[in-house]
Amino acid sequence: MTITPAPPGGASVRPLALLALPWAVARLGFQRQFAYPQATLWGLITNTFFGLLRVAVLSALFGARPQVAGYTVQDAITFTGLTQALIAALSLFGWFDFMRVVHRGEVAGDLLRPTPLLTFWAAQDAGRAAGQFLLRGLPMLLLFGLVWDMTFAAGATAGTQTVLSVLLAWACGFLFRFLVNCAAFWSPDAVGFGRFAWAVLGLSCGFLMPLAFFPARVQALLAYTPFPSMLNTPLELWVGVKGGAAAWAALAAQLGWTAALLAACLLTLRAGLRRLEVAGG
Amino acid sequence: MGELRHLLSLYVRLLGAQVRSQGAHRTSFLLDALGSMLITAAEFAALALVLPRFGGLNGWTLGEISLLYGLAELAFVLMDLVFGGFDAPNLSAHVRAGTFSTFLLRPAPLAVQVFGSDFALRRLTRVVLAAAILAYGLTHAAVPWHPGAALLLAGCVAGMVCFFGGLFVIGGTLTFWTVESVEAMNVLTYGGRTLISYPMDIYGTWLRRTFTYLIPAGFLSYLPVLHLLGRPLPDGLPTWAALLGPLAGPLLLTAAFAFWRSGVRHYEGTGT
Repeated sequence: MTITPAPPGGASVRPLALLALPWAVARLGFQRQFAYPQATLWGLITNTFFGLLRVAVLSALFGARPQVAGYTVQDAITFTGLTQALIAALSLFGWFDFMRVVHRGEVAGDLLRPTPLLTFWAAQDAGRAAGQFLLRGLPMLLLFGLVWDMTFAAGATAGTQTVLSVLLAWACGFLFRFLVNCAAFWSPDAVGFGRFAWAVLGLSCGFLMPLAFFPARVQALLAYTPFPSMLNTPLELWVGVKGGAAAWAALAAQLGWTAALLAACLLTLRAGLRRLEVAGG
Repeated sequence: MGELRHLLSLYVRLLGAQVRSQGAHRTSFLLDALGSMLITAAEFAALALVLPRFGGLNGWTLGEISLLYGLAELAFVLMDLVFGGFDAPNLSAHVRAGTFSTFLLRPAPLAVQVFGSDFALRRLTRVVLAAAILAYGLTHAAVPWHPGAALLLAGCVAGMVCFFGGLFVIGGTLTFWTVESVEAMNVLTYGGRTLISYPMDIYGTWLRRTFTYLIPAGFLSYLPVLHLLGRPLPDGLPTWAALLGPLAGPLLLTAAFAFWRSGVRHYEGTGT
């Protein structure tokens, strides 16, 4: 990886110069996604096949019912299309990159960079997410739009809210993934923590089924967790299950969880790095 | 007979070594095993939680779907335990690192070494859960209890283990030539498993027919379960078609190992 070194700092670093390195890192993270076109194509084909199966299950569930829990069958299919499009960008099947760097001791090299560790990784993941969305998300949406009848966000407000919400879902999800990866500071074999966490995430973020279909008690329980903020919220805003004041409240909840997870990440990272120093890794 | 016992003891010794190493980090192993089970649990729970709101799936109750789901999951996880070494990500890692060439140098049969190269103990929890889902299905669907039914179900599981094992062997063999296109096999293995976890009448006719006559996945559990539930088979198939499931798997596995042997003969290594 070649990164143009940040301009020599000092007391008079302008804010724009501070952003130069994260921007370069994000761009590299973006470009790296285009390295294996064949793998991307197969990934897209696999996603499409699973999307097809999920649409079949949802359509069969609806049967002749016009509406369930605020969803029409068209909304449910849209939900599936959007989740299939976001799997790769939001790394819903798991993410072990930071864990690997800690286990190999390469995190020591990361610390030498003039950018804070979390900023560096956030920039890299943002670039990765953007690349994956372009490569796998957009074609999936196009395909769903062509093959099935999709619901579109009602008006400019709902559309803008959805875009904001997807960005917050990425931030929330990234911080959760990063936090789970921090387990690597304490366990030499933290992959197990990760697999456990991704399994919880899959069910609780509304990837497998729209959360509105779950029994009220399960939904109430999940409302106390950050998981719906990582996928379910933007989808509800797009489909229009949540609108008006409820939509703004949902966005505020996402923002709140992002802030809470950011604090948790910073605290955990500090404790983890101190432990690393003690261990002399 | 002595030869077979020797191979078996070799295999068991390989598994023992892996079990000991995997038990080294207790907490992580425990979470890993729980996480593995949770993947199955979450997927099934997502269906079980929403089904009351919808009443059923195309006329299938949760108990009846559990039969299909439990059978597919149980067979797939058992297969993953036994054939994990042939799975493309595992085998291609060995090929790329050059460790596959060391397999060839060792004075032990190649297949036994590959069979014993990726035994993930954590998957045992999934076996238990899959068996529980199947048991739920058996007690909540109207399946008549007679030795023939038990035999057919056992045959289905064995047939599916062979079927998906054969797909793993084919995918693993493909890694000798190419690493990337192997992802295509995922559609057949993981995709096929998911496809037959649900009653196949929910799919469009062409999809159902493709996965019945071209890729014989439909014969593995869907037709036998229809037969056990006393329902007519699709496309006017005769009753005995429901009994073909246990045969389709071993046929595919035999062909897959023939492909494997020719692949090994042509294997040239990556030069690493």
